[in-house]
Amino acid sequence: MNILVQKFGGTSVDRAEHRDLAARKVIKAFEAGYAPVVVVSAIGRSGAPYATDTLVKVLRDIDAQTAPAPREMDLMMACGEIISTAVFAQTLQTYGFKAIALSGGQAGIVTDSEHGNARILEIRPQYIHMLLEQGFIPVVCGFQGVTQPENASEHGAITTLGRGGSDTTASALGAALGAVAVEIYTDVDGVKTADPDIVKTARTLDVCTYEEVAEIAHQGAKVVHPRAAEIAMDRNIPLWVKSTFSDHPGTRITSEATAGIKRRLTGITHTGKIVYIRLEIENAEHKPIVEREVYRMMARANVNIFLVTFSPSALSFAVPRTLFPIARDLLDGMVVPVEYGEKDPSGKLAAYYIFKFSDGLDLAYSVQRPLLRAVESRVEVVDVPASVTENCTMVSVIASHFLGVPGIALRIFETLVKAGIAIHQTADSGMSVSCLVPESEADRAVLLLHRTLFED
Amino acid sequence: MAQAGPNNQASNLSFERVRGVNNIIITYNVAHAVINLEADSSRFERILAALRSLANSDIPIFLLKLHSSALTLAMDGVDADRAQKALEASGFKIDLRADLAVVAVQADSMRDLSGVMVQIADALFAAGARLFETGDSHNSVQALIEGIKVESAVQSLLKTFALEASAVCSSQAAAQ
Repeated sequence: MNILVQKFGGTSVDRAEHRDLAARKVIKAFEAGYAPVVVVSAIGRSGAPYATDTLVKVLRDIDAQTAPAPREMDLMMACGEIISTAVFAQTLQTYGFKAIALSGGQAGIVTDSEHGNARILEIRPQYIHMLLEQGFIPVVCGFQGVTQPENASEHGAITTLGRGGSDTTASALGAALGAVAVEIYTDVDGVKTADPDIVKTARTLDVCTYEEVAEIAHQGAKVVHPRAAEIAMDRNIPLWVKSTFSDHPGTRITSEATAGIKRRLTGITHTGKIVYIRLEIENAEHKPIVEREVYRMMARANVNIFLVTFSPSALSFAVPRTLFPIARDLLDGMVVPVEYGEKDPSGKLAAYYIFKFSDGLDLAYSVQRPLLRAVESRVEVVDVPASVTENCTMVSVIASHFLGVPGIALRIFETLVKAGIAIHQTADSGMSVSCLVPESEADRAVLLLHRTLFED
Repeated sequence: MAQAGPNNQASNLSFERVRGVNNIIITYNVAHAVINLEADSSRFERILAALRSLANSDIPIFLLKLHSSALTLAMDGVDADRAQKALEASGFKIDLRADLAVVAVQADSMRDLSGVMVQIADALFAAGARLFETGDSHNSVQALIEGIKVESAVQSLLKTFALEASAVCSSQAAAQ
């Protein structure tokens, strides 16, 4: 039996005509001799009546001051896919096919108990296999599973898989069922060299490696979630990204050896609303100690920092814009004491480093700093000026085995600098070079880099 | 891949990768250059000139970072002498240090994990390893340290992240 997992996202099932197009993809596969297993997301995106965000709002609106419990939140969020599954199964039935709707738990998806971000532990595929043998088309809820009951009196709790959950469901089901392929249907023809809303000339890639698509997804392109790509990569299952709305063959995602890709530029992406913070720390000896306290404080508040850059007298790093107020409040007026061990020539025992943002953002500093005057005869008090670059985003060039090629950084810099686009910082990995640029320039940067690297 | 049939027991596959730090990759023989940018000329023109000089000499670079008065980058140690000559021929003053190593701590979805940076910094500090530069991506944090400190740094990182020695792998070439 050639099992084919077909996953349809929210825009593929949001209205009757779209569901009909999706259903035709399933029927076409069935009639071609495949045994389709369908995975669906919730109907529509934010604002739609049965979209996940809408359902979450119902719980949150009960009392804005009381956060819903994670278990109940998962139960509520799972409803979106349950509704979508029932609707899609009914759609297939109206075409005369034996379709059956299954929740994640009914499909045998067992997860850990981390509500809201659960991990699939195992899949018990027997029931789906039995349904397929009987000629059914199973329609499975994406994004959800069920915990293993802790004792005989329990029945397990519904969990959700977090970001990329439906893609992850499809990939994991493909692995458990021994599928010949997993098809991810969306509203674009496949993996593109850039966001087609920005770059009209963006090409659809015929084939991509798992590594390329994971990198592209991490850097902002919404094609396949990296978790799904990683499962497919680890199990060597061919993935396809296709459009529900066209007959374009789509993009095949496979291993490097199968894809036959040695070296190429893959695409341009952009992601993130980012704030870049720079702290001036002049004393080279004390700098590592002060830096570690900054990291520690950010970690305690669950503020993820990235693009960390050292220079002899400064530490710079980026934070997501949503977390910037927390980062700023933590740093403003923060004091890091560094003990000398013995008195210095001026008789001081320690240095106190106190962080100061620019006027208007230094409320805590302006309160704390006068308090330190009392100890200034014994302690050196050092201001750490903090500056902020707001409204940034990361534009990334994704490549496969290309970044070791001399000159790639030059081409990226030349393109942006000649266009007058400020580059605040850069980051590189084995598969990407990223530039932190003003958010207002993101589209132009993507467009120009695509023109330089893909069209010239 | 599971080949479970209707009568099989649970497939018992471990489907998803372990969250958190799972690997340490060491790259030896790395050089780090601090290219001073003169204040009296256009900073970005000087950056372009430096990058052009390295590109014309066919030297791959990584860990590229912008500073107010300098450009820093890393390269394979075997390219260090050529890089120095090329940059000096273009009129740059550079401070170049060889015999460094990149210790890359890998985790899936690194940018969703808070606290990894402080754990790495604490581990390297405990090992007496000075950080020359860091880089980060969605799946790794790279720390550029002295080559002679790699052994103690790795032991400290293994302890910090409760990893087995088998989680460490190394290479000699720095090219990405």
